[in-house]
Amino acid sequence: MDNVNAGNQILSRLLSAAAMRDRVLAENIANQNVPGYQRRVVSFEETLRERMLAGRSSTDVTPELLIDTKSPAGPDGNNVSLELETNAMRENRLAYEMYATILQSRMGLAMAAVSEGR
Amino acid sequence: MDSKQGLFSGLRASASGMAAERARIDVVAKNLANAQVTRMPDGSGPYRRQLVRFSTVMSNAFGKKAEPIGVKVDGVVPDLASPLVRVHEPGHPDADAEGIVTYPNIQTTAEMADLITAVRAYESNANAAESFVRIAERGLRLAQ
Repeated sequence: MDNVNAGNQILSRLLSAAAMRDRVLAENIANQNVPGYQRRVVSFEETLRERMLAGRSSTDVTPELLIDTKSPAGPDGNNVSLELETNAMRENRLAYEMYATILQSRMGLAMAAVSEGR
Repeated sequence: MDSKQGLFSGLRASASGMAAERARIDVVAKNLANAQVTRMPDGSGPYRRQLVRFSTVMSNAFGKKAEPIGVKVDGVVPDLASPLVRVHEPGHPDADAEGIVTYPNIQTTAEMADLITAVRAYESNANAAESFVRIAERGLRLAQ
């Protein structure tokens, strides 16, 4: 049961990280014409994966808001690319749906178990 | 790049293509806008046609063979090969001693052809991204 809970917890944390990323990407798009604006990114999955691969507890890993200084900036110092932002948004939405689908089917299993399969 | 690299690599490749083609469209627009500029702000000669150079982005996952995962703009370089257009126009403020004015090496028809191919390439990348999303959504429905 502990494993089931831990899995669901990770999924719900992934969901909230994806929701946060969606907001941040929307912010980037909103700021695409602001001179000097540097795009924001949410980092979560990577840290989570490293922790899990190392076999250490990952309960204290939280989504982190970072500033992307590596993407090439235009002449006004703004490094938002509309194409890359919208595609990142699509990608993020698909990831969200994927986590939600997995969580839903796990919940379905739990429901089947408590209702004795009826 | 990150943990979802493999899963969404198709979508990312399309996105990089769209961003690169848009950079090409921007450069063509710049060339067209400057087609008649005979004098740059720093006093040097006429505007020179700009060209975009693309390069392939390779994956750099540790312990794995590098694979192409997208495209990026490598740089915008001036076209120094094609000849500048010399026109006899003695009344022009930038005419030389013999009355010759040097115009940029820009041919509007060639630029327009470039623009059309860039727009088409942009659209095809957008379509590929669209298909990727449709397929992924269809795949997710299998699990519901």
